[in-house]
Amino acid sequence: MEAIRNAFDFSDFPRLDMTVAGAALVFLLAFPALPHSSFAMATMIQFLMFSLYGMGWNTIGGYAGQVDLGKAQYVGIGAYTTAVMMVRWDVPFWVSMPVGMALAVGWSFIIGYPLFKLKGHYFAIATIATSLVLKDLFEVWDFVGGAKGLELPLRGNFPDFLYLQFREDYYYFYILLAMFLAGLLFINGFRHSRLGYQLRAIKDNEDVARSLGINVHWCKIKAYAVATAYVAMVGSFHACYNFNIEPEDTMSLDLSVLIAMMAMLGGAGSLWGPIIGASILVPMRSYLGSWLGGQAGLAGLDLVIYGAIIMLIAAVQPRGVWGMVEAVRGRRRGV
Amino acid sequence: MEALFLAMFKALVAGLLMGLVFALVALGLTIIFGVMDVVNFAHGEFLMVGMYATLLTAPLLGVDPVLTLPFSALVGAGLGVLCYHGLIRHLLRGPTIAQLFGTFGLMLFLRNLALMIMGSEPMIVHQGILVGKSFVVGPGIVLGATKLAAAALSLGAFWGAWWLIDRTKTGKALTATSLDKEAAMYMGISTERVNALAWALGGASVAVAGGLLVNFWPVDPNVGLLFTMIAFATVALGGFGSIKGALVAGVLIGMIVQAPPVWDAMLRLVGSDAAEGFTIHSLKYTFVYLIYFLIMVVRPQGLFGWKQ
Repeated sequence: MEAIRNAFDFSDFPRLDMTVAGAALVFLLAFPALPHSSFAMATMIQFLMFSLYGMGWNTIGGYAGQVDLGKAQYVGIGAYTTAVMMVRWDVPFWVSMPVGMALAVGWSFIIGYPLFKLKGHYFAIATIATSLVLKDLFEVWDFVGGAKGLELPLRGNFPDFLYLQFREDYYYFYILLAMFLAGLLFINGFRHSRLGYQLRAIKDNEDVARSLGINVHWCKIKAYAVATAYVAMVGSFHACYNFNIEPEDTMSLDLSVLIAMMAMLGGAGSLWGPIIGASILVPMRSYLGSWLGGQAGLAGLDLVIYGAIIMLIAAVQPRGVWGMVEAVRGRRRGV
Repeated sequence: MEALFLAMFKALVAGLLMGLVFALVALGLTIIFGVMDVVNFAHGEFLMVGMYATLLTAPLLGVDPVLTLPFSALVGAGLGVLCYHGLIRHLLRGPTIAQLFGTFGLMLFLRNLALMIMGSEPMIVHQGILVGKSFVVGPGIVLGATKLAAAALSLGAFWGAWWLIDRTKTGKALTATSLDKEAAMYMGISTERVNALAWALGGASVAVAGGLLVNFWPVDPNVGLLFTMIAFATVALGGFGSIKGALVAGVLIGMIVQAPPVWDAMLRLVGSDAAEGFTIHSLKYTFVYLIYFLIMVVRPQGLFGWKQ
C-alpha cells in the first residue's frame, strides 16, 4: 500500500516541475491526434523507448552510481525471447515479455554476483566485456538465427493486440506510453523505497553505507536487476515494433552507450533526467542522421557532433542538464 | 599427431608475433593508467590514427611505410598531448563517471571524423620492402616479413619505454607521480607536465603499433573497438600500470587468438567433423573478452599489477 502511495507522491518537486510535466503528458497523449509526419511518429516512439531504457539505467547508474555500459545484452535477451517464442511456438507478446524479463533478470543475477565485486573503471569495462561475449555467442548460435537474426512472422489480421502487430504506429505509441507512465511511477516509488535510499547512501560513500549495516553487494545486485527488467521489457517491445532483430542492433556496444548517455545527458540520479536526455538526444539523432546521412561525404557527422557533445558535458557539467537546472535554482535560493 | 604438433608450433610462433604487437598496443594504455588512473576508451582510435598516419604519409613522402614510423609516433604524441590539454585535464575535476564518458565521447568523435574523411572502405599498405615477402622457416611454417618486423620493432619500442621510465630522470618523475601524486608535487615535480608526458608517450607508442599493424592488418574507421578491448584485456591480465605485465600478457593474448587452428588439428586427429571448428574461429575474440572478465573477477590486480 505504501509503495503505491510512494509511486504517486510527487510532493517533493516544486510546482513548476509538475506543471511542465503535466503539459508534457498532455502533449504526449494528444500527439497522435496532432498533424505529424510518420517520421515524427517513429521519432516519438524512439523517444519513449529510450526514456524507458534511460530510466532503467538510472537506477543502477544514477541512484547507485555504478557506470554500467553493458545494458544492451539485456535488450537483446528481451528482444530475442519475444522473437524466438513468437517464431517457434507462436507465443503472444504479453506472455513472452514477462518471460523475457524473467530470463534477463535471472541472467543479471548470475552476471551481477561476480561483476559487483568490481568498482569504477573495472566495473564499467567488465560490463562491456560481458555484453560483447553474449553478442558474439548470439552471432554464432543457429537457434536464434545467428548474425542474420530473426524475422517475426506477419499474422495478417491487423490490429492484433495479442501479438502486438499493427499497421498504424499510434497503437504502438499508446502501448509504449502506458509502459512509460507505469515505468515512471515505479521509479518514483523506487526513489522513496528502502532500496532507493540505500543506493544513494552507497553512491555517497560505500564504506559508510557498509558500516550502517547496508549489504552493499546485494543492494547493487538488486538495483541491477531492476534496471535489467526495464531494459528487457523495452527490448521485447522493440522486437515486435521492428519485426526484425539481429545481434548488431539489439546488443551492440553503441546501444549500451546510448542508453547510458540518455541518463547522463539529462542528469543521472534524478527522476526527470533520462526523459530530458532522451527528449534532446533522440530527435537530434534521428533528424540530424536523416538530414546529414543523405548528403554524400557527410556520413558520420551526426556522430561527430554527438561525440563532441558528450565530451563537452563530461568536462563542463557531469551532472547533465538537470544538474544545470538545480545549480540555477540553488543560486536563486541562495540570493 | 605430427599435424597437431605442427599446428601447435605454428600457433605459438604466430601468437608470439601477433602478441608482441598487441603488447605494444596495450603499453600506452597501461602507462596512462599507471600515472593517472584514467582509462582511455579512445585508445583503439589512437591506434587507428597511427594506422592512417603511416598509410597516408608513405606514398606522400615517397618512402617505405616502415620509415614513416617516427612520423606516426609524432602524430600519436601530438594527439595525446592535445587530448590531455583539451579534454582529460577538465575531466579530472569531475567524478569517475565523467572520465568514462568523456573518453567515450572522444572515441565516437575520432572514429566518425575518420569515417567522414577517409570513408568506410578498409585500406592496407600495398607497397613496401616488407610487403609480400616471407621466410620459410620449416616444413609448412612461413613467417611474413611484415609480422616479423612488427614484432621486432615492438620489442625495440618496449625496450625504449623501459629505458625511458627506468633509467632517466623524466621516467623517475613519471614513476613518482604514479606512486603518490601529492608527494611528487611536494618534491617539485610538475605533475601537470608529467601527465601530459604520459599521454604523449601513450599516444606515441600506440600510434607506432598502428604503423606496424597497418602493414598486414587493413584499417577502417571501426578498427578501434576490437583493439581497445584487446588492450583492456591485456592490461587487465598483466596488471593495470605494469609495463612488464603488458608485454607478457600481450604475448599470452596473441597466442589465445591464434589458438583455433590447434583446435581444428585436434578435431581432425580424433576424426571429428572439422566444420565444427568454424564456430571456434569466429569466437576467438570472445575468448579474449571472457578472459578479461574472469581475470577481473578472480585476480583484479592481474599478473604483475601493483595498483588496486
